[in-house]
Amino acid sequence: MTKAAKVMVPAIKVTRLHKTFNCCKALDGVSLDINPGEMVALIGASGSGKSTLLRHVAGLAVGDSSAQGGSVEVMGRPVQARGRLATDIRATRARIGFVFQQFNLVGRLPVMTNVLTGALGRLPLWRSLTGLFPLEDRERAFEALTRVGIPETAWQRASTLSGGQQQRAAIARTLVQRAEIILADEPIASLDPESSRRVMETLATINAEDKTTVVVCLHQVDFAIRYCPRTIALKKGQIVFDGPSANLTPSTLRDLYGAEADELTAPIQGSASYITDTALAVAG
Amino acid sequence: MSTAIDTARLSPPPRQSLVKLLAWGVIFATLAWSWSGAEIRPLALIKDGANMGTFLADFFPPNFHDWRYYLEEMVITLHIAIWGTALAVVCAIPFGLLCAENVAPAWINQPVRRLMDSFRAINEMVFAMLFVVAVGLGPFAGVLALFVHTTGILAKLFSEAVEAIDPRPVEGIRATGANLLEEIVYGILPQVMPLWISYSLYRFESNVRSATVVGMVGAGGIGVVLWEIIRGFYFAETCAVMLIIIATVSIIDIASSRLRKLFI
Repeated sequence: MTKAAKVMVPAIKVTRLHKTFNCCKALDGVSLDINPGEMVALIGASGSGKSTLLRHVAGLAVGDSSAQGGSVEVMGRPVQARGRLATDIRATRARIGFVFQQFNLVGRLPVMTNVLTGALGRLPLWRSLTGLFPLEDRERAFEALTRVGIPETAWQRASTLSGGQQQRAAIARTLVQRAEIILADEPIASLDPESSRRVMETLATINAEDKTTVVVCLHQVDFAIRYCPRTIALKKGQIVFDGPSANLTPSTLRDLYGAEADELTAPIQGSASYITDTALAVAG
Repeated sequence: MSTAIDTARLSPPPRQSLVKLLAWGVIFATLAWSWSGAEIRPLALIKDGANMGTFLADFFPPNFHDWRYYLEEMVITLHIAIWGTALAVVCAIPFGLLCAENVAPAWINQPVRRLMDSFRAINEMVFAMLFVVAVGLGPFAGVLALFVHTTGILAKLFSEAVEAIDPRPVEGIRATGANLLEEIVYGILPQVMPLWISYSLYRFESNVRSATVVGMVGAGGIGVVLWEIIRGFYFAETCAVMLIIIATVSIIDIASSRLRKLFI
């Protein structure tokens, strides 16, 4: 296993990535390796840079261009280096599925069309501009909707769906994309506990069945411990913890985050206290 | 003591009142300043009242003797408006996108915006006169005049709609590896479509009104008829034509505003 891991090209390789916004450093020399097939949680309080990091990995944002500016590689292909996106970024983005906190579906289009947009990266222009998706892709889209459990919504407008359903449609989009990596940026932060659980389970199933690498930004440690074997914790743009999620005990968290730890362990509207308890039991 | 504080609270702070007063002052000063330039003579309305009464009497009863001819020309006016608007909508789509800050970089959107400004700045009457010289008298000159002017207006309205979209769905499309054109078709167009349709219908309404006027410089339609009978002092006929125009424009206005409501 360890031998294979050494030979493998990392799914995601970030090297000394820096990002400065007007006021402050959002990413401060972040380096990490994630192997194919891993399911990793990225945790941290708000403003810790976890979403920023994920957006850089997908090439939706570029890092600092100064000499110390780092690089991002995905499946061995450059995404960005020294503040410049790779020229073939679109081909690389097509291999990365991105799931957003606010779902980012096109509300006025049917769910089916939203899911089919996952195929845009590999379609010839005449097909994508006319909306004539090949039968194979339409079948794949319907299968994906079935897999995430919302096939009956296929021809509804995306805006008519509940938050949890929209997020699952967004995950279906990454399935049509045949994404080798799924990056999920706070996918459950806008959802109720039950929808959150279903979304996390959908992601975990895809990780287990398709061997898709999944990186999830999370606000709550409970979910990280429950669904992700490995956790990377960020604080003020720096990695402060990278290891098995089981090692994240409440005391470790307090050491890492001080008063901010409360924000990460806060139970999610009632029902999550059960998860916290299990998590503590597992961690302890 | 306490009553003094209470009454002070009941009226706005003095600064606000002063600004309000100043604003009114500026408005009245502007009106007074333009009085003499515009030669406002309200007394003329009273002094020449009798003349105007005679003039008005010439309009009634309206003479609908040639109504078939008037209607034919009115329909041609509609044809001018339809084609002028249709061509403008088709051209305003690429121009509108190129004007939008969130689609095109400044070195593209600024020059295109200035071009659209110039299309808008020149009234359709002026374009009509130029096109009459270029393509000869007739409705085609009117179509071209409306086309150019409306392109300028619609491109601006379209681009404002594009700039007001929610960027997140577009990012969702971008994250799938789509290119710029695909981002526009799947991320932007679905969001702006209701507004674009509404704006296009509104401009069609306005173009029906404008098309009745461009005829006056020889660019075809009911305007040509109107200009001829006014110059010939056929006031009863003029009245008939004006009534036909009013009826047509009202019908189009009502129909298109009904239609627009469907899309908002």
